[in-house]
Amino acid sequence: MNILIIEDDEDMASFVSKVLTEAGHVVDTTHRGDMGLTLARAGDFDALVVDRMLPEKDGLTLVREYREGGGVSPALFLSALGDVDHRVEGLQAGGDDYLAKPFAPSELVARVEALGRRQVSEAPITVLKTGELEMDLLSRKVSRNGQKIDLQPREFRLLEYLMRHAGQVVTRTMLLEKVWDYHFDPQTNVIDVHISRLRGKIDKDFDEALLHTVRGAGYRLQA
Amino acid sequence: MNIRLPTLVRTTTFKLALLHSVLFTVFVLGLLIYLYASTVVYVRAEASDSLDAELSELSLAYSQGGLVRLNRSVRERQFAPGSRQFLYLLQDAQGQKISGGLSALPPDIPLDGRQKYLFDVEIIQPDGEFISRPAEGRAVVLPDGGIILVAYDVGEFQRIVPHITRVVWTAAPIGLLMSLIGGIVISRSAARRADALAKTAEGVMAGDLSRRVPVVGSGDEFDRLGEQLNAMLGRIEMLMESSRHVGDSIAHDLRSPLTRLRNRLETTLAEPMSQEMAEDTLGQTLGEVDNVLATFNAILRLSRLEAGQGGPMLRTDISTLAEQLAELFEPACEEAGLEFVASIGRGLFVLGEKDLIAQAVSNLLDNAVKYTPIGGKISFNAARERDGKIILEVTDTGPGIPAEERERVVKRFVRLEESRSEPGSGLGLALVEAVGRVHNGQLELGDGGKAGAPRGLRARLVLPKA
Repeated sequence: MNILIIEDDEDMASFVSKVLTEAGHVVDTTHRGDMGLTLARAGDFDALVVDRMLPEKDGLTLVREYREGGGVSPALFLSALGDVDHRVEGLQAGGDDYLAKPFAPSELVARVEALGRRQVSEAPITVLKTGELEMDLLSRKVSRNGQKIDLQPREFRLLEYLMRHAGQVVTRTMLLEKVWDYHFDPQTNVIDVHISRLRGKIDKDFDEALLHTVRGAGYRLQA
Repeated sequence: MNIRLPTLVRTTTFKLALLHSVLFTVFVLGLLIYLYASTVVYVRAEASDSLDAELSELSLAYSQGGLVRLNRSVRERQFAPGSRQFLYLLQDAQGQKISGGLSALPPDIPLDGRQKYLFDVEIIQPDGEFISRPAEGRAVVLPDGGIILVAYDVGEFQRIVPHITRVVWTAAPIGLLMSLIGGIVISRSAARRADALAKTAEGVMAGDLSRRVPVVGSGDEFDRLGEQLNAMLGRIEMLMESSRHVGDSIAHDLRSPLTRLRNRLETTLAEPMSQEMAEDTLGQTLGEVDNVLATFNAILRLSRLEAGQGGPMLRTDISTLAEQLAELFEPACEEAGLEFVASIGRGLFVLGEKDLIAQAVSNLLDNAVKYTPIGGKISFNAARERDGKIILEVTDTGPGIPAEERERVVKRFVRLEESRSEPGSGLGLALVEAVGRVHNGQLELGDGGKAGAPRGLRARLVLPKA
């Protein structure tokens, strides 16, 4: 993916740049808001990573103006302000996701990749496929290798999210936000238990595991 | 004088005192003028009335007994002791004096008897001296041509005028001086108390938070102000104290994991190790760092809450929220070998922040899962109380919290001895309590089990209905 990082703190910028480069992405970096807007408009980026506090033009204004100018690249806000109202402001300004500092590198990569993929799959899809696993979004049926799998509604949504981001790492926090719509940190392993139940249904009777645990990061569904 | 005059003059109280004394003086002057005017007018009117009465009595005596009777009356009255001393003159038609204290008729006196006339009389003092006095009188011509003159000494009244004037001129500056002195006294006492406030504020700013404004106990404005300031200082001191305590606790709580981390890294560096071992160590290290970060985030969240920086309060569907949380936690309970029962009422709403309430309830459920031994039971209830309040209640069959510890465990970083070995930051219940407070509700802790069973814990978040 082609990613533009707009972040004034140089340490943070080079950290983000390093993390994303190591994950195999091409990265451009700028430290100023006005420069960021110019670059975002000029280049064809798959995702923008925007700090909220920027010199010359703050992150919210930048993304708002970018959207008003017809920019479509998805944007992820980085901010030290992690509370709900700040996140809501970010999303209202035209951001697609919000990540509070400090964050784990794996969380950043997972979220940026999720953004890029989402844009590609803009066309309406009715069937999701990951290897032998098939999900019909209309009839809400799931099967693996032709064998029907019964899922609870929540398990269905969990699997749907994993399949939409197949091949990518998704973190526990992302799952809690996107599948349950909660923005807080559960202290225990509540998400893990849901994953292990889902795994029991889609992987148990088959030789090859599809749902992998990524240590220190989260999960990945991969054929 | 511990107060310099220029400072004194600038005070509001002094200005008010000065204004007061000026108004006071004007008032007193007005009163004196009024008193003077009305006294003089009254005395004159009274004298004039009694002069009329005297004349008419003498006229009566004349009509009853002629000149002889009149002459006797005049003589009697002239020497009668008491009452008002009038001056008389009775003379016959030829102008010869018959009786009376006056020696002769003043030359220009009108004789119609109606007009009062002011003239000077010579009066013999007891020591034989003659003095000249102003007198006012009326003369009446008798039918036989004689004349009767009755007069009174107006010197008495006229002496009152300068006397009163003198009194006024003496009293006015005395009044002014006294009210100024009063004003200064009042001003000084007010200034002294304001000074005490300023001194206390100075002391507090210099860092002595235990300083308090002296309260006299009179219940006046200064006392009320002092009490309010003292309450404010008390609150500030408490906040400072608690933030200092939190600082210490943070240092203490983060030092152990960071020290462990450091030691592990140091040992790892010192020893040659296999790839697998190195990965293992790094994995554990990552876990510890995540814990430290989680604690930091929890502290930040809690501080924001306690500083009243929550998000907007919206009408929140508690029934749905509770159902989702039950659904979220149910598998974790089963995994931990616990029975999980949820009983959730319909149509429960509160005014609040969804994520905060979810976080709070999730903390309670987390605790229950963490501390309840295998085979135990967790009940989760959401209901409306009789008084309309909404409760979110988590009951478990774990070790519970002794009654005397309940107040303490909701404080930051407080963990019971028995649970120190469990992972956790000691911020969970503090956060629930803070969430309760920002929603104008509270966290109540009680025993969860029945008699004979393990104590258990019943944690209940009470929120006002929307």
